[in-house]
Amino acid sequence: MHRSAQRRIIIPFLLPALLLLGVFFLYPLVRTVDISFTEWTRTGSYSYVGVENYTRVVDDPGYLNALKNAFLFTLVGGCMLFPVAIAIAWALNQRVHGERFFRFVVFAPVVLSAAVVALMWKFVYHPTLGLINPALEGLGLGALARTWLGDASTALPAVAFVTVWHGIGIWVVLLSAGFERLPPDVLEAGRIDGAGEWRLFRSVMLPMLRDLFRILVVLWIVQSMQAFAFVFIMTGGGPFGSTDIVGTLMYRVAFERSEFGYAAAMGVVLVVIMLIVAQIVNKVMKRDELQY
Amino acid sequence: MKTMRFVVPLAAGCLALAACGGGDDGDTTDAGPDAASWHEEIEGSPLEVGVLSAEGTPGLAILQELADGLEADYDGTEVTLTFANTDARPGIEQRWRSGDPLDVDYGMFDGTNPALTVWADDGALLDLRPYLEQNDPETGAPWLDRFSPTVREFMENPSDGGIYGVPSELSLHVLFYNAGLFTELGIEPPRTWDDLLAANTALKAAGVDPIAVTGLFEPYMGMWSDHLWLRTVGYDTARAVLTGGEGHITDDPGFLEGLEMLQQLRDDDAFLTGFEGTDFTAAQAQFFQGDAGMILMGTWLVSEMADVIPADFELGVVPFPTVEGGAGDQGAVMAALQEISVAAESENIPLALEWARRLTSVETQTRRAQEIGEVSAVVGVPSPPGIPGIDQVVAEADSLEPRDYGITTSPANEVVYPEIARLLFGEQDAQQTLERVDEGLRRVHGN
Repeated sequence: MHRSAQRRIIIPFLLPALLLLGVFFLYPLVRTVDISFTEWTRTGSYSYVGVENYTRVVDDPGYLNALKNAFLFTLVGGCMLFPVAIAIAWALNQRVHGERFFRFVVFAPVVLSAAVVALMWKFVYHPTLGLINPALEGLGLGALARTWLGDASTALPAVAFVTVWHGIGIWVVLLSAGFERLPPDVLEAGRIDGAGEWRLFRSVMLPMLRDLFRILVVLWIVQSMQAFAFVFIMTGGGPFGSTDIVGTLMYRVAFERSEFGYAAAMGVVLVVIMLIVAQIVNKVMKRDELQY
Repeated sequence: MKTMRFVVPLAAGCLALAACGGGDDGDTTDAGPDAASWHEEIEGSPLEVGVLSAEGTPGLAILQELADGLEADYDGTEVTLTFANTDARPGIEQRWRSGDPLDVDYGMFDGTNPALTVWADDGALLDLRPYLEQNDPETGAPWLDRFSPTVREFMENPSDGGIYGVPSELSLHVLFYNAGLFTELGIEPPRTWDDLLAANTALKAAGVDPIAVTGLFEPYMGMWSDHLWLRTVGYDTARAVLTGGEGHITDDPGFLEGLEMLQQLRDDDAFLTGFEGTDFTAAQAQFFQGDAGMILMGTWLVSEMADVIPADFELGVVPFPTVEGGAGDQGAVMAALQEISVAAESENIPLALEWARRLTSVETQTRRAQEIGEVSAVVGVPSPPGIPGIDQVVAEADSLEPRDYGITTSPANEVVYPEIARLLFGEQDAQQTLERVDEGLRRVHGN
């Protein structure tokens, strides 16, 4: 009796969320899967072609290259993001003088639009008119000057760096919340036992934040595998496909070649791969809950 | 089980929605007004027009004046100018697919590109031929006669002979050069490939990079191979191989010859220092700042870069240099026609036609040529004064050939231009480029 009354109350509360989930997540997902089994003309007529688009995806070197680049982007970006974000979050947790100012500086790029940031960095990276190469030359490090976005070996890290620079504020906020939640008595006990701040950070804080890291790593994988804006604006996937990721390839296939079915199949395959990778990372990084 | 109670109905609902979504059968009606009397049927109403000019540009100001004139002449008219260029196109095309097209739009038709005749073939566009063949009330001659015969193939649909686009501007691909610098250094404008190589040598000796090009937009690097193949292979053969899937790129030695000439430019350090990481806007600006002596670009360059061209900059243009002994078309000029089409589903076709008629009038086209440097395909419109020599280019052209062989709208886009970029970047030589392009074309064309 009590349970059924509870159920009757719960359903109206859940309905708005379910509606939003259905309209903005489930429907697009189902529709994308539906489209992935079709072949379209530029004018919008379509016919069902079974799994043909999926067999094409598997054999498409362009897709495999984009997938490889997406993984590289995730890895390189992750390596740039997490050590720095953790360091900043830890530093901001030390109650330093001017902490609010530093928080503002770190968070400020987040509020800029991706298009503005991408264009700004495109000019910063310019080989002769930009800021980096002349600065390197001014410091006597001219040998390190590159064409950055025009060099297949540096273009992807360069774009990943901008993506990280733009979004690091969010990650710092999330990590800061984690640091703040650490029980002060445990940290205090460590200090009383003679542990220095570095030892405390390495042996106490990091292990206690492991669950948070696991979630953030999964979030980063999901976000970076779907990256689009920075690559699209800064390199368009070039030079010769070295920064082409699944998002930019899908865009070209769908909107320049009007192969919507094929682009949808690429998207579905990406979703499946992301789910598998996220599941693996989740499993690998999971450990028994710490009791404290 | 509890989860299933929510998920199953939700998924079923989504499936139902998905089943209802799309499925456009493409049927549209082509019910335009009577061709002989369409002028009398013009009535005021809202009209949405696609434009290529961005907010705040002089080009848009001219179009706004045209819109104001239409609103003044027909009570109840309200013209909306919608940006319909570049990155706005996917959204605009989606509107066409969903049955909510602009009344007048760009980029919907090009008779020389099979990828862009499909809208006409599916009945989404109004066949303008009956209206174009009527006498224009202002000139007394058929409206069609306004347009240069050289652009007729761009306007006509090969499948039914209908005309589905009228040109508002003509973009010719030409070699721009810094005329002031050339005069100062005593360099002749490069009319032949040997002239170009000589100009390279002279410019480099003067400490100027010979050619501005971007390395961040592959189709602009591909303009060099496109033009070389035009000269060494010929338009029809190149198009058949590159986008038509007929034959192989290794069959005609002209392809390799063109790539070797491009390699020669690369090996001679002819391109802008750091071009690999230079955006096209920056490359164009550097040309006008005197950092490079030449740039291969469409005639839109002048209007696009109007704000950064120094007042004392002397510009010159020549057609792409001829190649002595080349088996291709030595007198052809590559071009893109910016055409406007009228939606067959427009609720006020007479008003849409009137917009097209006014936009393509000699008066409007002359204003555009003089004020924003647009080249016109309308007969009797003077060449833009901002592009000295363009009238000679037009006069001497044996033919106008569609730019890029349709590569950018075909799967060959994923194959050809990335390999050209590799060649220019020094990653491979001409022979390797040919082999890789061949391999890619065989894959995408399945031949």
